[in-house]
Amino acid sequence: MKISAYLKERSVFLFVNVLLFLAVSVFLWMIHVPAWLIILLFLCWFTPLFTSYALEFWQRKNYYDPLVKNAQLLDQQYLLTEMVEPPDFLEGQLMYEILQSTNKQMHEHVNQHKRMQTEYREYVETWVHEIKTPIAAAKLIIDNQQNTAAKGLYEELDKIEGLVEQALYYARSSSADKDYLVKEFKLRSCVTNVLKKNAKAFIYNKIQLELAEFEDVVYSDEKWVEFILNQLIINSIKYSQADKKHIRIFVSRHEHNLVLHIADNGIGIDEKDIRRVFDKGFTGENGRAFQASTGIGLYLCKQLADKLHLGIDIQSVKHAGTEVTIIFPRSKVTLLEQ
Amino acid sequence: MQKMKILIIEDAETVRNELKDFLTAYGYEVEAPDDFQHVLSYATKEDIHLILLDINLPVFDGYFICREIRKSSQVPIIIVTSRNNEMDELMSMNLGADDFVTKPYHTQILLARIDAVLKRAYKQPEALSLTVGELKLHLANGTISYKGGHQELTKNEFKILHYLMVKKGSIVSREELMEHLWSSDLFVDDNTLSVNVTRLRRKIESLGMENPIETRRGLGYILS
Repeated sequence: MKISAYLKERSVFLFVNVLLFLAVSVFLWMIHVPAWLIILLFLCWFTPLFTSYALEFWQRKNYYDPLVKNAQLLDQQYLLTEMVEPPDFLEGQLMYEILQSTNKQMHEHVNQHKRMQTEYREYVETWVHEIKTPIAAAKLIIDNQQNTAAKGLYEELDKIEGLVEQALYYARSSSADKDYLVKEFKLRSCVTNVLKKNAKAFIYNKIQLELAEFEDVVYSDEKWVEFILNQLIINSIKYSQADKKHIRIFVSRHEHNLVLHIADNGIGIDEKDIRRVFDKGFTGENGRAFQASTGIGLYLCKQLADKLHLGIDIQSVKHAGTEVTIIFPRSKVTLLEQ
Repeated sequence: MQKMKILIIEDAETVRNELKDFLTAYGYEVEAPDDFQHVLSYATKEDIHLILLDINLPVFDGYFICREIRKSSQVPIIIVTSRNNEMDELMSMNLGADDFVTKPYHTQILLARIDAVLKRAYKQPEALSLTVGELKLHLANGTISYKGGHQELTKNEFKILHYLMVKKGSIVSREELMEHLWSSDLFVDDNTLSVNVTRLRRKIESLGMENPIETRRGLGYILS
C-alpha cells in the first residue's frame, strides 16, 4: 500500500478543504485578521485531518500489506481466505464477511463437482470391468470355432478391448487421487506382455519385430507403463508403411535414467504436427488420413507418464519413421524426492 | 498319462461354457459348477488339479473363496479377473493364488499359464519325448532322432516341431504357428519362420526321413 495511492484516493476531499481554507483565509485577510491567527486556523483545520489520515493509513497498511504478501507466497491463492484475520475497521469487516461466505459456497460447489467426478469415475471403472466379461466370452466363442470370418471378428474385438482400456485409463488419469502403485519390475517382461497382446496385429500385418536383449529393472506402476507401451505399439502398428514394416525396441542407459526406445519405419509425422501430438484431441494430418484417430491415445500417455514422473518424447521424420522414448528415472531416490 | 482336471469357478455362463469347451479341446478334464452357494465343496475335492477362479462372484467373492481353500488345500489357483490393477494382483498373491490373469485373456496365453502352473505344482514325470512315426523329439535336450541318427535343434526349430507334433495330422496355419511362438516369447516374423521351417526340414531330411513337413499352399503346414 503506497502513501501516494492512498492520498490520491482522498484527493477530492483534500482539494475541497484546501480551496475552502483559501477562500476563508482570503476573506479573513481582507477584514484584517492578523497573519498568526490565520496560521493558527490552518493548524487547527489541518492537523486533525492529517493525523486521522495518517492513523487510518497506518492501520490499513498494517492489515493489507501482510495480506498481499501472503497471497503471493501461497501456491494455492484461493486458500488465502482461510488465513485472513478479521479486520478491526468497518469496510474491512464487511468485505471479510462477504469473502467468508462466498468462499464457503465455492467450497461446496467444488466439492460437489469432485463428488460427481469420483462417482463418474467409479461408474466408468465398473463399466469397464463389466464389459470385459462379454468381450472375453466373445473371444472364447471365436477360439472354439475355427473359421476365417471369426478371425476378422477377433481383431475387431481386440480393437474394442483397446478402446475400453483407454476409457478406463482416461478416467484414472483425470482423477486427483494417486491410485497407482510404484514397485520394482522388469522392463522387458512388461514389453513382452504388450507384444504378446498385440501378437495377432504383428503377425497379420507382417511386421518385423526387433527386440533387443535387456535385463534392466525400473520403478513404476507396471500396469500403467504397460498401458502406455500398448498405446505406443498400437500406434506404431497402425501407422506402418506398406512394405518392409519394421519395429525396433531397445534401451539406452544414462547416468540418471534409463530410456526405452520404440522406433518404427512407418509414415512418420509432419514437422508442423509433431509438437502437438501430445495435445488432447489433436489428430493432425495422419489422423485425418487414417480416420480412426481420436487424438486421445498419446494425450493419455503423456498424462499418465507425467503422473508417474516418467519422461516421454517423440521424434519423427516424415515418410521415414517415428521414434518414441520413455525415460525412467534411474534411482529410487529420485523417485522418492519427487 | 492321466488327464489333468480343472475346476472353473466363473459366474458368466457364456464364458464358463466356452472356456470349458476350449480347455476340453486342449485335453483337460473340466468341471464348471453353477452352484455358487456350495462352491467350496467343489473346490476342496481331492481330484481337482487346478482352479480357475473369478473374483466377482455371487454369494462369496473370489478372495474369500481363495482364502477358504488355502486353509485346507494347496491346490494351484489361477485368479482370472477383469479387475486390472496392481492392488488386486498383490492381494491375490497374498491370499495364496499361484497366478493372476486378466480378462479378456488371449487363450494361448491362458493355456501357457495353466501349463506352467501345473508343471510347477506337480512336477509330473513329463513325457520325455514326442514321437510321430519314427521321428522322435527329445524334450529335455531339444534334439531329434530318427532311426539311430541325431540332430540338435535351435529353440525356434524345437518349438515349431513341438507344436506340429502336438497337432499332428491337422493343418497348422503359419499364423497359428507364429502366434504359438509369440506366446512363448519368440517374436519371429514371416521370413524367420520360413527360414526356420526350411532348416528344420533339412535337418530332419538329413536323418533320412522323406518329406517330413508338408506345405499345404495357402493353408499352412502339416506333419503326418
